[in-house]
Amino acid sequence: MHSFHKRIFTKSPGGERLDDAVKLVFDVMAFASIMVLVVSGLAVIASLMGIFNLAHGEFVLLGAYTVYLFREWGLPIWLGMMVAPFVVGLFGAVIERGVIRRLYSQPIIAMLATYAIGLIVREIVRGLIGGQYYAVAEPIDGSWSVGGLNFSIWRTVIIVSTALVMLGAWLFLTRTSIGLQIRGALENPALARASGVSTTKLYALTFALGASLAGLAGALMVPLFSLSADLGVRFLVQAFLSVMLGGVGSFEGPLLGAAMIGSMVPGFQWLREIPGVSAAVSPVVAEVLVFVAALVIVKFRPNGLINSGRR
Amino acid sequence: MIKSTTRRGFLRGSGALAAAGWTAVAGGWVLRPGWGNAAEGAIKVGVATDITGAIAPSGNSDWQTAQLAAKQINDAGGILGRPIELFLEDTASDPGVAVGNVRRLIQQSQVDVVFGGITSAMREAIKNPITQRGKTLYIYPQLYEGQECTPHLFCTGPTPAQQCARLLPYLIKEKGFKRFAMPSANYIWPQLLNKWARKVIEENGAEVVMEEYFPLDQLEYSATISKIMSEGVDHIFNTVIPPGLQAFQKQLYEAGYYEKGGQTCVYFDENSVNYVAARELEGCYSCLDMFHTISDPFTQKLIGEYNAMWPDSPYKFTAGTAATGMYRGIKLYEQAVIATNGDLARDAVSEAMNSAAIAEGPGGPAKVIAGTGHVEMNMYIAQSKGGVWEIISEETAVAPQECA
Repeated sequence: MHSFHKRIFTKSPGGERLDDAVKLVFDVMAFASIMVLVVSGLAVIASLMGIFNLAHGEFVLLGAYTVYLFREWGLPIWLGMMVAPFVVGLFGAVIERGVIRRLYSQPIIAMLATYAIGLIVREIVRGLIGGQYYAVAEPIDGSWSVGGLNFSIWRTVIIVSTALVMLGAWLFLTRTSIGLQIRGALENPALARASGVSTTKLYALTFALGASLAGLAGALMVPLFSLSADLGVRFLVQAFLSVMLGGVGSFEGPLLGAAMIGSMVPGFQWLREIPGVSAAVSPVVAEVLVFVAALVIVKFRPNGLINSGRR
Repeated sequence: MIKSTTRRGFLRGSGALAAAGWTAVAGGWVLRPGWGNAAEGAIKVGVATDITGAIAPSGNSDWQTAQLAAKQINDAGGILGRPIELFLEDTASDPGVAVGNVRRLIQQSQVDVVFGGITSAMREAIKNPITQRGKTLYIYPQLYEGQECTPHLFCTGPTPAQQCARLLPYLIKEKGFKRFAMPSANYIWPQLLNKWARKVIEENGAEVVMEEYFPLDQLEYSATISKIMSEGVDHIFNTVIPPGLQAFQKQLYEAGYYEKGGQTCVYFDENSVNYVAARELEGCYSCLDMFHTISDPFTQKLIGEYNAMWPDSPYKFTAGTAATGMYRGIKLYEQAVIATNGDLARDAVSEAMNSAAIAEGPGGPAKVIAGTGHVEMNMYIAQSKGGVWEIISEETAVAPQECA
């Protein structure tokens, strides 16, 4: 800490501090984007259908596994990444039709069912990859630089893709007639059915959309974290925390929550750069602080940051 | 009433089914040779290792290695004419589960010796059920942090002294590294190994500028890596383990550290290139009791036999998985039993283990240092180049320097 202190205050005051700030912003944005991408699928299903999908982590895992399979088959990795959302979306549709559909009136049972599905998928994948970890290369590696600072191309791709996909999903839900029907069916399913809207089809579509977003998240993040059976589970707790923070009932709320959790995870680690604080904030403490901060916010905004929409 | 009885009956039935299935796969696994005049019966060797869970890749390597060693011994006529019978219990990468399963090895199967445990947490959990309550000999095969001096417990993998006493001075004196960082997973192995390494680093005139402990599955390391870059660190003594490791290596690579400094990770072996991209391993140093690239003919023959017995297995015969320690341990146990003239009593074999030695083993010969429970062995410093571990130097008969 001592030498960091010296560096800021004696060596070159302005320049390096600015560099650090730019790096910090990029690192935070990159990780927050991953969180937003992971949470988006969860948010679609939780907010629009009222089901907490505990298999979400495994949908993420299946996206990553699809990319790994493409590599094993000697096909381009980028192609695997394009295909993964469709594969996982299709899997989601099958799960909705086979299991979830029967349980809409019992959300707790539905939640337990998704947990069981997640467990089955995770252990099957663990068996298929022999419990090992596998590194998967990013389709575009290397970095771009501005003013002597290097930025990973792949993390930049993730930031841009996340922004585009979120914009697309938002436009789909708010500007298209299917989006309107989905929102209507959720506000008042009985009235929607009476108006000639097929709610069963819409629910299947929504669940598949949520699953495919998870698949995309897994596909894009696998180069950063390597494939392992527990890849998705590692994000699940933070993803649910994001939904809680943002508030169930809207699409934007959980995404805002995800952006906040995703910023706090790397952000709190940087607290150690503040002279005097470093001794108190070890990496383990920083990790715990994320949960403390989220719980404090929820205490003051029990319905989440944005509580429009349902209920 | 009827319903609840049925449910209980069903549970009991399924439990029995699982137990039967398990016994068929594991407990009843016997490698009985054709000559079968085993008057005194087989020598019962227990293997308690992580067949499932997070450490499963290493646990399966160890189990496959145990089967290879048993097959070799039985094909050669057993130990003093008695075959080895292997009993497997899955410790499931979970010390809580392990204790009960290990007790089953001792109480039900009544094994003469237990081999196994990979993480230090596992060893800590099962050592007392084996050596004290179970009054059974225990052999622990993995590289570890040292300071394990329990009676009737023998450690057949390398210690901090064996892995670092020569490597760190080499890095400082010959490679000129001066400023070390110690990013670490937050558990006992990194904590004690770092304490040991820090002492050697400072004695050799270099310094440790940062030492940090992370949750095992931390996802994001930008703050730490930024500090590594800004503090002018020129060597990273890395004890981060999967699943946190992959994100750490990736961010380290992206930050451009590899153009500035070197890295050491003393559990990296031939498996590492699977889970860390080759370019993120490039130039990394390791020091282990065996690499596939060493020229020792016995080691090469052994790797060949392992691969022939387990073709296409994803679980390789490597040092970082404790497979070398497992093989070495079984062969040392064989020598001890020969020395007692077939007496399998715990105290007798334990006493004989003190002078057990093998002339050939993975990486070379090995010898138990009497009264310490640790093993002298050859150690190899290697550097990863293009995904292959190139041997830099070899030292024979390196002392474990534990429990003296």
